[in-house]
Amino acid sequence: MRVAVIAGSIAAGLRLATEVDNLPGVDVFVLSGNAERRTSLLRWTRELLLLAKSFRPGILARLWRYIRSHKLIVFTRSFDDPSSISSLRSLQCEVGLHAANIIYREPTISAFRLGILNAHIGILPKYRGRSVAEWSVLEGNPTGVTVFFIDAGIDTGERVVLREFIPSERSKSVRAFKRMLFDCDARLYRRALQALMSPEFQHAKNDTSKGQRYYVMSKLFTGAVDKILRTGPRSGTR
Amino acid sequence: MDLETAHSRSVPLERREAILGAALRSRRAKLRKSWRKLISPGCLESLGPAASQVEALLSGCNTARDWLLPDQFTWLSSDEDFWGCLQAIALARKIEWRPAEVAPAPLSLSTFKKLTTAESFQLLCGRYRCPLNIAAPSELEIAEELLCQLMVTDRAKIEAGRPLDAVAVLLRLNLVGIRALLARDLRSLDSLNYFYEVPQRSWVPERANFRLLASWLCIYAQLLSLTNGWKCASL
Repeated sequence: MRVAVIAGSIAAGLRLATEVDNLPGVDVFVLSGNAERRTSLLRWTRELLLLAKSFRPGILARLWRYIRSHKLIVFTRSFDDPSSISSLRSLQCEVGLHAANIIYREPTISAFRLGILNAHIGILPKYRGRSVAEWSVLEGNPTGVTVFFIDAGIDTGERVVLREFIPSERSKSVRAFKRMLFDCDARLYRRALQALMSPEFQHAKNDTSKGQRYYVMSKLFTGAVDKILRTGPRSGTR
Repeated sequence: MDLETAHSRSVPLERREAILGAALRSRRAKLRKSWRKLISPGCLESLGPAASQVEALLSGCNTARDWLLPDQFTWLSSDEDFWGCLQAIALARKIEWRPAEVAPAPLSLSTFKKLTTAESFQLLCGRYRCPLNIAAPSELEIAEELLCQLMVTDRAKIEAGRPLDAVAVLLRLNLVGIRALLARDLRSLDSLNYFYEVPQRSWVPERANFRLLASWLCIYAQLLSLTNGWKCASL
């Protein structure tokens, strides 16, 4: 299976690639885009700074391996630009792994045979949109991550690959809780790819009629969620 | 972890309600002190006889009307016009409404989205002459679109410092607030929280529509007085 990590930076791409590139049968590309249309100087300064910030043993060797095998592709334009889409198509990837802070248009999504996977930090179909981790806590519903194939809408892609319930009880703030959920992405993408390669795999349906779109949470409610997280659950009750 | 276990590990309802209630009460207390910064004396004066009632509602104890509407109502009629109804709702006064004999033709979302700001303003004031109808089941798509416009389009403009039509935003806030009052929808209430938290000078111009500004704050004050009964949807 040919897989491309669609990243906002080389460092972010390598982080995800490290988790999935030792999966048997998976061939990984790292794609770094330029959605903000930064100048070359700004862009490369940022790339180098992010690489330095995420430095850990072996990262340079891994980076060199991707460069040497032509599996690190740096796009000068955004992923939705026609020239980028043409390059994406030529890679003939089955799956894209979303790691860039962008919304995709349909031509970009369809450049991947199966589509682009997103690790959404809420449980679908109930929680679409923004601040869904906070809203789940406030409404007393299970929290976690859903890995699904995106479409051009906001978390409306129909094919769910996996859902993992991850309780909030060990996090004492909204910020820490969201960080913990975001950090699950590499592990869950790995699980999702394993599931997709299994012959018995079947998608679950993301039935949008069973959920709502949520929006950025106010400071007032975020403060309330912080308090809820600090108090934690009482065992054995709902 | 399965769904059952995940549910068992969430914070119990009574504790969440207590924390949410405390947050709403603290914001209500803050609004009681701060509303005069949002509504200038000149603006208050321009409201005419309603000024003292607006002042009493915003400065006084918690007041909120519990609207007992028929479940799944189709459409409501009132003899008052849009501004009369809106003022009554904002001031927690009774409205003489009755079930309408005929509901208006459904408004398609795609048609609504194509309207200009002025057309949309006119349509909303006309269609929701009795603004309680924004909470009718048939209006769910439009109500969701208004919420989306506030929290995506308008919010993006405010955060980017781009100009926006404050009167249109105020109308949306009023209608979404009324929906929050009737449907006890936390997301709708939170959009009012968000716009209260945004520094007003960044989006409310000197010459905003004072009636809409005052009614928005009065509806918000009522919402903050409702400390329980908010809907928490379950999976």
